[in-house]
Amino acid sequence: MKRFITLAVLIFINFILQSTLFGFHDMNHITPNLLLILTMSFGLMRGRKEGMLVGFFCGFLVDAIFSPVLGPFMFLYMILGYMNGVFHKNYVVEDVMLPLVVIILDELLFNTAIYIVSFLLRNHLNYGDYFMDIILPETVYTTLLTVVIYKVNVFINRKLKEEA
Amino acid sequence: MKLDRKKDISPKYLLLTFTIICIVLLLLSYFAGDNLAFIRKYTAKIVTPFQKGVNEIGLWTDSKLENIKKIEELNEENRALKEQLEQSRREATVYQNRLLELEKLQKLYKLDEIYPELNMTAAHVFSKTSSSWFSEFYIDKGRKDGVFEGANVLCGEGLCGIITKCYDDYSRVRTLIDDSSNVSAKCIPSSALCTVEGSLAVYKDGFLRVTGIDRAAKVSIGDKVVTSDISDRYHPGLLIGYITEVSNDTNNLTVTAHITPACDYNNITDVLIITEKKATVLED
Repeated sequence: MKRFITLAVLIFINFILQSTLFGFHDMNHITPNLLLILTMSFGLMRGRKEGMLVGFFCGFLVDAIFSPVLGPFMFLYMILGYMNGVFHKNYVVEDVMLPLVVIILDELLFNTAIYIVSFLLRNHLNYGDYFMDIILPETVYTTLLTVVIYKVNVFINRKLKEEA
Repeated sequence: MKLDRKKDISPKYLLLTFTIICIVLLLLSYFAGDNLAFIRKYTAKIVTPFQKGVNEIGLWTDSKLENIKKIEELNEENRALKEQLEQSRREATVYQNRLLELEKLQKLYKLDEIYPELNMTAAHVFSKTSSSWFSEFYIDKGRKDGVFEGANVLCGEGLCGIITKCYDDYSRVRTLIDDSSNVSAKCIPSSALCTVEGSLAVYKDGFLRVTGIDRAAKVSIGDKVVTSDISDRYHPGLLIGYITEVSNDTNNLTVTAHITPACDYNNITDVLIITEKKATVLED
């Protein structure tokens, strides 16, 4: 129960920060994907099931507030959470490289999926430009933040484990 | 007990279940969006106050930090400015005369018609979309304040966007630089009709793209681009930007231009919303 409440609060905080503090009043600003970092952290630390559920509720918030229909971001975050959960068996607390590699792959998949659905299907074919202008900066930004935020998540997870 | 049972389900089946939930929600919200509106309504009721709060905190700390940084600068500036003031006073008289002349000229150009008297309401921006792909933001005025879907949004001296979705007490604004934005416009003084397109690829250099200008029309750098009279969504004469680059299209009939937007998209905090509907022809 304690884990459930903590996760709910974490998802909520990350969502609020992502939509307000980062990319503050700048319409052409790259926003780091904090929700993806959260999904990745718990997928990696706790396995497929929890990664999937965290992803699902992250996506739910994004869809309910920002997207015209419910569903797409839910599915995207959920699938990524599940896939990150597969790496749970390689998870070691001290390991720094694995989360970084995984978050880079996640970002590329996540943004390419958005590109395909909302740009490629509208006949905007120059993937290269979009890659250089949006996907790459966002990936770098998110990866740098992962270094810090992942540590915090590991700490929270350890506390929760100790108490359970 | 419930939690224990949950742990026994294999993650694969759980994934399948949630995927089906996603697809059902997707279809439901697409075909019968109104039935699911309550989900949005209650989530927004919980989330938006927090967004507004964090936003306020952000703005407050930002301004305080600026203040501290600027105290020393300001003292020095103050001294320099006092000297300038004397000089400026003398110059002011000269300019006042010129201003009278300008007003006369502006009347000739009918520039004062650019902003006809429309009812407007001000709003604060409290959030932007969570991904880097879309240039949309959220304002704290909604249906209750007389805002409606399709209302024009102004920021600074120019048109900034349009309201694409309106809820009870907040609404979503799509900016002109969004990749899916299209505005019917005209160039001044040549009055050639054209279309202003938002594009991620062009905006990275700070421009909007204007297409479909007739080649015969004399369009030159520095010309104004304003919303056209024939648009069915935008009020006529709202300033969009100034032409900075012109290039001929390969079809030899039209011209494509890049314009610098009149509104500063890097710092949008307060906007004005036009709460008057444009008169349109009713379709039977």
